Amino acid sequence: MSLNADSADVAFTFKGGMLPMTVMELTSADPEHIRRQLAGKLSQSPAFFQHTPVVLSVEKLDEPHLALERICAVCRDHKLLPVAVRGGAEPVRQSAWALGLGWFAPVEEGRARALESVSRTPISTAEETAQAETTSSEIESHTAVTRLFRGTVRSGQQVSAADGDLVVIGAVNAGAEVLAAGSIHVYGALRGRALAGIHGNTHAGIYCRELEAELLSVAGNYKRLEDIDSQLLGCAVEVHFTEEQLEIKPLG
Amino acid sequence: MAKIIVVTSGKGGVGKTTSAAAISTGLALRGKKTVVIDFDVGLRNLDLIMGCERRVVYDLVNVIQGEAGLNQALIRDKRVENLYILPASQTRDKDALTQEGVAEILEKLKEDFDFIICDSPAGIERGAQLAMYFADEAIVVTNPEVSSVRDSDRILGLLASKTQRAERGGDPIKEHLLITRYNPERVTTGDMLTLEDIREILSVHLLGLIPESEAVLRASNQGVPVTHDAASDAGQAYSDTVSRLLGEELPLRFHEVQRKSLLSRMFGGSRR
Repeated sequence: MSLNADSADVAFTFKGGMLPMTVMELTSADPEHIRRQLAGKLSQSPAFFQHTPVVLSVEKLDEPHLALERICAVCRDHKLLPVAVRGGAEPVRQSAWALGLGWFAPVEEGRARALESVSRTPISTAEETAQAETTSSEIESHTAVTRLFRGTVRSGQQVSAADGDLVVIGAVNAGAEVLAAGSIHVYGALRGRALAGIHGNTHAGIYCRELEAELLSVAGNYKRLEDIDSQLLGCAVEVHFTEEQLEIKPLG
Repeated sequence: MAKIIVVTSGKGGVGKTTSAAAISTGLALRGKKTVVIDFDVGLRNLDLIMGCERRVVYDLVNVIQGEAGLNQALIRDKRVENLYILPASQTRDKDALTQEGVAEILEKLKEDFDFIICDSPAGIERGAQLAMYFADEAIVVTNPEVSSVRDSDRILGLLASKTQRAERGGDPIKEHLLITRYNPERVTTGDMLTLEDIREILSVHLLGLIPESEAVLRASNQGVPVTHDAASDAGQAYSDTVSRLLGEELPLRFHEVQRKSLLSRMFGGSRR
């Protein structure tokens, strides 16, 4: 039988896809401990918790047995949908399968870092965001969804808009990272990493006055500086996701 | 009221200690009572640059741990009145510094001094964070090279978030940029970043520009802060820097390629 089945007969096709996914990296196996922290996060950014699929990473835990069923229940109570487990010993893998969850092998160090920075989400980096939030030059907008940052986003800083758009009036320097559920607007040079549509919004865009970005990503589809046409560097550009890839074109 | 100024950079070897020594000497020469503190516990250098390494008995860690009084540890500079040095410990490790201990010393010094200059260690670890934590102003030392500029950018981020002023809100730390080892010839040939590039990336007030100079190396090895070498380009540039720190407005010097006169070209006169 031919592999190229007649298109009329086809019920589905398999396609490889890179979907943005929140990894919930557990550092405690205690469901009550997790519940308390989640309750706090929920009140901070309710928009993030909308049946958001998460992968439970247990790589940092050194426990052969986990109360996986209770942990999943806690997540569901807070509108997070566990879809898979990453890492853990054989018993963890068996109980993940028993609960109808997928299981991923633990990620090696280097690759883990690369993946994380592509699909990083506010919840896994709340601490760094807090650092950026204490920056004095920043003004929080009261329109609830758009976040306005005035000043330079410096190397090592991270500014994120978990619910909506992010507007930076200033430059984003190399080594800095800006993230938004919606679009990112940089009124200055974009030299760092910009990740728009972090919850999977493929209609999000990135706009900047001067493109020098280390990484551009819309809904998990990314381009590194090396992949960007050098003619566009230094130009004012807009970045969108069209036809399965990132399109960068000059503004205006 | 005493002003606490941290001299910091992130990257090592860019000229923090040289600058801290030169600036504190410049302030003292103008009659400001100044103390310069070495925060680089375990890798102390300030005493060498200041030429007082043979007179160190007690150090910062001794004072923090109550083994010596502050006045016992302060070393009076031999050349300038009004200038004191508080050396770091060479034998202890940097965990010997505590935030409470540093706070206590700074409070005491504030009573007697006009300026407290904190010479930060390289990096962004504990020692560097303690050196900057209580600062009112910061001088970020940068070389015209990409890695130095990026590290300075990182330090500027920390100054705006991990310091007492940032945590308490209110007035932020006043940030200044000091570019050192600037060589206009090498900037022209593209070996070094231009002044404009650095200013654009860091977007911070430019306090001064120190040209790459033989006078700096000579000063370090002789243990005489380069500010004393008033004939040298670097000495003059540091003097300008101190004036600007005290509020004067001076035009920038030494940032353009100097045309050599016919005579100096014939006799190969070197820049001092």
